[in-house]
Parts: sequence; structure tokens; C-alpha cells
Amino acid sequence: MIRAPGALVAVDAGAATTAVALLGRPGDRWRLVGSLAAPAGVDAGDLLDVLAARVRAADPALADAIELRPGDLDGLPRLECRSAPARTLAVIGASRRSVAILESIAARTAWRVVGASTETHDPREMSELALRADVSAVLLSAGDPPGPDERASLDDLAGLVGAAARRRPELQVVLGSAIRRRRAWIEALGADPPGSPDRIVDGPAIGPRRQASEGLRSVLEGLIADPLDGRQALRSTVASLADLLDRRIEVVEVGHDGGTRAVAAPGAPGEEPTASAVTTARGALVPPEPDDAIVDGVLAWTTGSLDRHRMGDRLRDLRAGPWSDAAGEGARLRLAAARAALARIAALTPELGALPAPDLTIVSGGCFAVVPAAAVVLAVADTMRRTGATQLAADPARLLGPIGTIEDPIERRALLADIAGDLLVPLGSLILATGLGARRDVGKVGHLALEHDGSTTYHELVAGELAFLDLAPGAPATATLELRETARLGRRTRRVSVAVSGGIAGLLVDLRDIPLRLPDRRDRRRSVLSAWSALAWPVDDR
Amino acid sequence: MSVIRDLPPGADPDVAAADGSVALPGGLSLVAARRVVIGPVDATFALRPGDRALVAHGEAVVRGAPLADRLRDPRTEVVAGPLDAEAAIPGREWTAPPSRRHGDAAPERGELLFQSGGRWRIGTGDQREPLEAPFAGIVREVRPGSAIGLRSPARAILGREVLAGPASGRLEVIAPRDGEVRAPEINVGGAGAILVVGAHIDAEAITRARAVGVRGIVVASLGVKERRDVLASERRGQAAVHGLPPFAILVLDGAVRHPIATPVMAVLERVAGHPVAIVADPPCLVIDDPGMELPAPEPDLVRVLAGPLAGAEGRWAGLAGPHRFPGGVVLEAGYVRFAGRPALAVPLGDLERFT
Repeated sequence: MIRAPGALVAVDAGAATTAVALLGRPGDRWRLVGSLAAPAGVDAGDLLDVLAARVRAADPALADAIELRPGDLDGLPRLECRSAPARTLAVIGASRRSVAILESIAARTAWRVVGASTETHDPREMSELALRADVSAVLLSAGDPPGPDERASLDDLAGLVGAAARRRPELQVVLGSAIRRRRAWIEALGADPPGSPDRIVDGPAIGPRRQASEGLRSVLEGLIADPLDGRQALRSTVASLADLLDRRIEVVEVGHDGGTRAVAAPGAPGEEPTASAVTTARGALVPPEPDDAIVDGVLAWTTGSLDRHRMGDRLRDLRAGPWSDAAGEGARLRLAAARAALARIAALTPELGALPAPDLTIVSGGCFAVVPAAAVVLAVADTMRRTGATQLAADPARLLGPIGTIEDPIERRALLADIAGDLLVPLGSLILATGLGARRDVGKVGHLALEHDGSTTYHELVAGELAFLDLAPGAPATATLELRETARLGRRTRRVSVAVSGGIAGLLVDLRDIPLRLPDRRDRRRSVLSAWSALAWPVDDR
Repeated sequence: MSVIRDLPPGADPDVAAADGSVALPGGLSLVAARRVVIGPVDATFALRPGDRALVAHGEAVVRGAPLADRLRDPRTEVVAGPLDAEAAIPGREWTAPPSRRHGDAAPERGELLFQSGGRWRIGTGDQREPLEAPFAGIVREVRPGSAIGLRSPARAILGREVLAGPASGRLEVIAPRDGEVRAPEINVGGAGAILVVGAHIDAEAITRARAVGVRGIVVASLGVKERRDVLASERRGQAAVHGLPPFAILVLDGAVRHPIATPVMAVLERVAGHPVAIVADPPCLVIDDPGMELPAPEPDLVRVLAGPLAGAEGRWAGLAGPHRFPGGVVLEAGYVRFAGRPALAVPLGDLERFT
């Protein structure tokens, strides 16, 4: 008889940090025993040694029960996911218009995208791009039939990319259907092209239809598919979790080399859960070589007095050492960068943002792991502007990725069923309503009654306000909003009751505009942001 | 040899080992390690289409030997292409047929890019400049239009990034590790040298260094503003008729000002007066003397990368466990003793050690 292991190890080897979690089965179910993270490059075995020593010191009986012995740690079963650095895709097209379309599709993938068209680059520059060692793949596509702005240069581009593919046998190429059959392509590649034939794949032509975009996105994601990739595994876990909890779940993740937004809903009885996800390299906390747009995007969320150059310096150092400077002002800078990344992710995923507010929003990523819970809730409220009520939770042990590497959904679900209570830390709930008070001076717009544990507390609602209400972690409650005029809270209404749940940050009521409107003048903007962040950050140790 | 030993949770790191043995507290492996010196060196020099490689795979080159002719004004031209079908391969060099008339504006030679409509596009230009080997080595790869790789048994100090380059020269230390060099401190005595300038250098000093013939700068940090100035100056130099001599800046740490780490400074001081080179890929300072004995870093020395103690160095005193830091942030921390003072808890992520 094969005996089930008493402990297993989950490793999330991220691009910035490595997290190790120890799961044990002291009785008849798995539990999260502990977790530890360190900068990327630190050996997961060293982290496990320290973690196991802490468990043995803190609870020797538990360590014995899960058979945690110093010499046996290497032999423990492991669930491991990893984050590979983002690879670069050169998007080549015959016109600015076609390149812009292709770039917008490729931006919704984990590829880092560099574009070039015959209107912006000469053939030598485009050849240079395709031959660059850091470019892993080239995407060349056009309309079918080609548009009037494309026809003149399609043969040139087919020849250019064919020559690059011939010179670089490792280069992956995605070709639109209008290109593959061109003589220039066939002649440039030659009769016996080097490298694997699988590296050259067909993609759909550029078209106005959504199916073409999704088809091309699917092809591009297929080129970098990795069963151990943390972000791909995250999607699997979220789908299983939605099915298990019978709730609609959204995950937003910001990492070193990209970000993810995934929405999963439980399936009907007998059916699989559904999930939609977008992973984008533009969702990175700080993209490599941050340009002025990135710097300005972060500056827009800061309350400090850094100028553009100094902010650029700080962001470059944050990119180089994403694990460092996580306390004090560094924590605020990190969260400003995370807000900017969340805003970029939200802008790239309008179809997910248009869905009703999920029952549960999970915030994932090392940049959120160490800041106060209220600051995380506020960051989500600032950037994911969608009316409704949602509970927010975090995955501090970073288990979502490793669990997603379990291929069998039944096995994955069984493990999740055991540790669902340990997996997520409740941050709080968010109620977001809009349309209250056309002017700022309208004052009181209604009240909120929070019923919890047999008692009811009342809160006067003021137009445009942002308020944290106390609600203990895990405490279920009903929030009833009675409004003087019709507002939007998921739907247009004057009275609505929503179920909420407490968390470390309590309940955040947000009646600000959608989209969030901030003053253009920098000093006023900072003043507004300071007032909001004062609600979320401890004032005694700035 | 020191024994690495785990410190029991909650133990006071200042308490000496009970058995009196020389022991280092454990947990140091959870601190990010930085290699001070790497070797051997596999450097890659970028080429662009139209550049002409002058070396072949496996060839031995000495310092200063020409590796390639680089185009300073690259452009695309359309030509009939080679008459010989065997030579009509992208990446091959194309030379104009000798029968052409003298004074023709058409290019004399270039690199075949691709064929379209029966004619070839080539990468070519009128002005070339040599790419010289900044250190001796063996050519490990030549990819026309893309890169030349050079391998050397030499060792190198890794940095964060290199601007411009490559360049070579003798190393001179003109500032302490936490110093800052200003323009008046750069003089013609530095011509042909690579200068170690400490923690920071301003844009004016960089301009002056370039003007007096300095070949390179090694600095701990370089801000975005100075970085932009250097890159703009490099572009102007490329566009000028006569170009500029090789020049490179090696940034060891990042953008925010820090002193040079002590173990790195010790190696730089040891190498001072000897020939070195700055290359961009990997970003490093190549020490062109494989036999030179270099000081090894002390294993328990750690440096603070960020926060109020940024740049400070101390001795590792063991893991401190989760600690609350300013901003309401709870982080895994380690104890560090600075200059013999009682140990302080510093976030693990803010520390680096040296190997």
C-alpha cells in the first residue's frame, strides 16, 4: 500500500522573488503550515530549510505529525511553477494602421512587443529588428485581401521576414494567411529552410472581427505556452476555485514581467467552470527601460515631491531590485507603481471590466504582499472602477500558481477544498456606487446600514466620499444603501442590499466618479491623493 | 574555515556560540548574492545589417585587433544583386561589379538583406569605423548583421549597465568609493584611461572626460538625466563627420546614488594601473590579466541596498524573522551589525552579500 505524504512543498519561482509554502496533512485534510519568500535567485531548498526549522521550533507536535524531518526535506513532493522573463515579439506590418492593430492584439499577451512598419522604418532597420538577439519571434500579417495601404510593400516584407527566418533558425515566425502564399516569402525562405518547420505558424489575417483577434492572440500565447508558467497555472486554479466556492472570482496580478486579469465563473451542474483571462507584459510593475509615459503614470499616483528624473531613477532601481525598498516611502512608491500597472491592465481588458462585479476579487503579486491591506483595497478601488460590491482577498503564501500546475482538475479541486480556508486572507469588501450628486456640494446623499451579528450600524453617505468602515475579518454582514436619488450600483437603484464580508481593512465605501476624476494641477492632485491615502496608511510611521 | 550554523528562532544574535567555536550565524543564504568577479568572459558585440565582420569563428585576436567595420550612416539601397546564384544568400557581403563607371553614386558594397521583385535590398553606408577587440580572446561566434562573440579566460566585474562602448584602457581610481567627481577634477592626465569616479558623476564631468580623451568611466550610480545626456552625446558623435573615439560608462549599481561596494572597490584598487575593458554584453569591466590575484569578498559582509541605511555595510548576524517596518509593512528581516554596534534588523530584500 502506498502511503500518502504527510507534507508537500509549493514553490512559486517568480521573476522577482521565490516563495515557498509548506502544506501538511496532520489529520484527514491538508493545511497551510507556513510560507516564506526571498529575492529571486535564493535557492528554494534554503527557504524550505528555514521554514521547516521554524515549524519544528514553533510546534514540534505538528512537525512530527506531518513527518517533517530535517534530512527528508528534499524528498518531499513539490508543486512548482515559475515565471520566465518576458520574450520579445517584433510586429512587422505594411502600414502604421496594420501595425497598430497587431500591436493592440499582441499587447494582450505575455509578449513584450516592438513594432515596425514600412512607414516608420526602412528595410535595413526592420531587418536589424528581426535579427536582434533578444527578439524571439516575428509577427507579420496583413488584411486578406490586403488594404490599399499594404499592397505595395507586402512582397518586400515577406522577403524580409523570410530572409530573417533563414538567417536565424531559432526565430519563431507567425504569418498572416495573405503572406504565406506569396512568392517572395517562398523564395526568401528557400527550398530547404533551416530549423524546425514548426517554428513557422499561421495566424489569421487582420480583420475587423473579434474572432480574428482572439485567434491571433491564441496563436501568440501558444508560442510561449509552458505548463509550469505561474500565470497560466493561475488561470486553472481560479477556475477550480470558482467551481469549488460556487462564486464568480476575479484575479488581478501584477508581477515583475507582466500582469494578469482573469475572471472565472462556476459551471452549471455537470459542466466545467468558465474562465477568461488576459496576461500582458504591459502589466509589469515597472517595464524594462521605463519611458516618460510609464514615469508619468506612476507620478500620477504619488503624493511625494519627486520630479520626473528622480522618479525615473527610483523606477529603474525598482526594476533592477524589485525585492528591495519595500518599507517606508519605498512601500508607497511600490504601490504607486502597482496602481499604474493595474490601470494599464484595466485599460487592456475592457471586456472583463464590463462584466458585473465579481463575488470575490483576489489580489496577487509580490508588490501587494507586504503593504497594509487597506492600501491594497484602495489601490484596487482606484483603478478597477466598476460599480457593485465585491469581497477582496490576497494570496500571501502564493499558492495559486503552484496548485494550478496540478493537471487533473479533480485532484486540484480536492486540494483546494482542503486549504481554501488557509489559502486566502480576507482584505475586506468594497462597495462602489456612482451617479450620486451631480455636484460636490450636494452633501448627504443617503445612508448605509450595516447589519452584522444582530446589530446595525448606520453611516451617512456623502457625495464623492471614500470611507473605511470597521468589519472584522471573515464577519458576514449585509450592507443596505438607501439613497435620496437613483444611483448605479451594479444596476440603477435607490435602495439595495448587498452581502459583504469583513477583512483586515474592513469595508470600503467608494462613491467617487467613474472614471476617477483627479485635478489636473499637480499640487491639488497630490492633496486629494494624500487625503485618500491617509485613510489607508498608518499615519505614525510614514 | 568558518562554520555556518543556524541561529535558533528568537535567539539573541549577540550571544557567542556556546562551544566557543568560530561560527557564522545561518540564514545568510536567504540574502541575494552578488558575484563580484566572474570568469571566463563571454562577451557579445552587437552588429547591425551592413556592418562587416573582419574575423572568423575560432580566430584568436589580440587587444586592439579589428573585429568589424561598423557603419556610421547605415541605409538601405536597392541593387541587382550577385550574378552568382550561390552567393545570393541573405547575410552575405555584396560587392559592386568592377565594370561600373567611376563616380557612380551607387554603393560599392553592402550586406545582402533580402530579395524582392528580382532585386536585392542591401544594408550599406559611406562612413565606417572599426570595432576593435577591447581584450584578447577567441572568436566564438560570428553572426553577420547580428553579433560577434568573444571568449576570454580573463575575469570581469559585473555591473548593472553599460552606456556606449566598448572601450579599453588602463584603470585609474580618482575618487573614493563614496566620492563624486566634478568637471574640474578631470584633466588630460586621464587621457586613454578608464576612470573609477566613486558614487556619482555629473553630466558636465562626463562631457569633459570625453573631450580630454578619457576612454571610460566606472561609477556606482548614474541618474536618468545624466544617462540621457550621455546617450544624446553618443548619437551626436555618431552623426558627426569624424565620429568620436571609443568611450564607455559602466554603471555598477543603479540610478540612485550609492557608494561603490567595498569588495568591488577592493578589486578595482587592486587592478588600478592595469589594462581593462568595458563591454556592454554582459555589462562588465574586463580585467585583462587572468593570472592576477584578486581580493576575495568576506562571506559575512552584507550591504544595504535601500532604505535609510542605503549604502551601509555590516556583518550578518542571523535571521530576525518577520519585523514591522515604517509604513506598517511587515517583512522578513536579518540582523546586521554596523561598525561593531548592536545588531539591527534590516529587511532581507534590502540586503546583498558578496561571493
